[in-house]
Amino acid sequence: MRWGMVINLSKCTRCHACVAACRIEHFLPLRITWPRLIAWEREGTQGVEVTTVPVRCNQCKEAPCVEVCPAKASIKRPDGIVQVDQNKCVGCRYCVIACPYQNRTFLSKDKDPGYFPGYARTGFEKKGNKLYPHQMGTTEKCNFCMERIDAGLAKGLKPGIDRDATPACVNTCQARALTFGDLEDPESEVSKLIKGENGFQLHPEYGTDPSVYYIDPGLGNAPSNTAPFSAQTGSHMPGLSTQEAKARQIFAAMKEGAK
Amino acid sequence: MQTARQWMVTHEWMVKGNRQTEWIEKRGILLWLAFYTGGLGGGLYLVSLFFNSAWGLFLGWFIVTVLKGPFHLLYLGKPARFWRLLTHPQTSWLSRGLFFVFGFAGLGLLQLLFSYFLPEQIGVILALKILAGIFALCVATYTGFVLNNVKGVPFWELPLLPLLFVACGILGGFGMTVAIAQFSSGINLEAAEMGSRIMLIINVLLIASYLVLAAAKKENTGKQSVLFQLTGGISPIFWVCVVILGIIIPAAIAIFSLSGGEAVSLVLIIGTVCEIIGGMMLRYCVLKSGMYNPIFDK
Repeated sequence: MRWGMVINLSKCTRCHACVAACRIEHFLPLRITWPRLIAWEREGTQGVEVTTVPVRCNQCKEAPCVEVCPAKASIKRPDGIVQVDQNKCVGCRYCVIACPYQNRTFLSKDKDPGYFPGYARTGFEKKGNKLYPHQMGTTEKCNFCMERIDAGLAKGLKPGIDRDATPACVNTCQARALTFGDLEDPESEVSKLIKGENGFQLHPEYGTDPSVYYIDPGLGNAPSNTAPFSAQTGSHMPGLSTQEAKARQIFAAMKEGAK
Repeated sequence: MQTARQWMVTHEWMVKGNRQTEWIEKRGILLWLAFYTGGLGGGLYLVSLFFNSAWGLFLGWFIVTVLKGPFHLLYLGKPARFWRLLTHPQTSWLSRGLFFVFGFAGLGLLQLLFSYFLPEQIGVILALKILAGIFALCVATYTGFVLNNVKGVPFWELPLLPLLFVACGILGGFGMTVAIAQFSSGINLEAAEMGSRIMLIINVLLIASYLVLAAAKKENTGKQSVLFQLTGGISPIFWVCVVILGIIIPAAIAIFSLSGGEAVSLVLIIGTVCEIIGGMMLRYCVLKSGMYNPIFDK
């Protein structure tokens, strides 16, 4: 068994819901995000546009972070999830440096100023400190919501199929751009997507064998590994496209009004 | 569009090649100091073994044990758990490095104690010197392997890096030996100066080769790192501290001394200080220029 994720770039609508869901699920400190949407500008049909790609810990099979961790705090579980034991982490940050995908974060004081810096912690934060404590001076990263997976499996549920056993970001993705499942099961949805739609990994040349795959019908297994901007126009979701177009009109009108 | 551009700034990392900051900025300064003092202390101990300089041996041991070790411990997010660093030497160079530091600290201390209190135990002292010398070499070298092992940073991924670091440490060791010779008898100053000159030439060749090889790497990021060092934000540090202070001034003193002139103590000590600053800032530049490949090729 090896848990993995497939991210369909042509379906991602840049809504940031996965980022928000993860923050809520893990009570993340203000300046820490486990999954991220990386974004850059490129020339589109209507001038300069923003395009995005969701990234998160790749749970590599040959994880450099596990190899370099001098304290055995980064460990690889039998199910392929790379986990940080914050009770063992010494905060040397070698894993942060060694991760070629830059998906680890060191939790320093400046990254946890509270949701409202200068004010008392909110009830949500206080509760979060008890339910999901984050240790200052240690390293953090996405863990595929392993607590949900473990609890779900204990109940006989199937991760990727049953919501209670599936990562929060996958559950919340309204565009169904994220798919979760067992990479070693040829009948799982993730395996079928990777095989059928030419799933590719980020920087396979590093030999890390990530468990997060990307698919894009426009590119398939193209060596550039880059999603075309046209893939993210939301054309597969006509309703959303209309909303986006409406939003653009409203913002454009507001901008004009401001002038 | 202005708003979009401002928003984009925070997302340039991972899209463009971006520099690592954890090991050089804020508390990362401590790690830089730890890396450099490890090289300097190890190098000085090795050079002092060659010259049989008791003061040099003591200073080399002192730099590694009292400066390098604590700098590294202070850098840790959880210093009280430092012992855990020793638990994974099978694959982690940082863990191996701590073994080297502890081994050197223990063996070096024994060697110093035997040499001072039981000088007649020549065989034991010799054995301790050999063992401590091996550990000193490892302490001076391992930081190069620590960086060399990082896959996403092409600038560090050169086999020459450990060699560059150890050569830099030995150059600093020769420089300090020249300085120690001004206050302590028993060191062949001429030989120490000659060693310093040879190491200076080796260092220049290594630095130049390193930059050329890094720039020639297939990843564009290697070239960007070199350009950042030579013409970018840290170029003043590279040219002033590494090239002028670390190479040109010591070379000028060496040429003057070689051409028959007798450099006064103060000038030699200034040369040593310059070499140390040069070596220190070389590591700074290497750490600061470490740039990750973009997460996407384009």
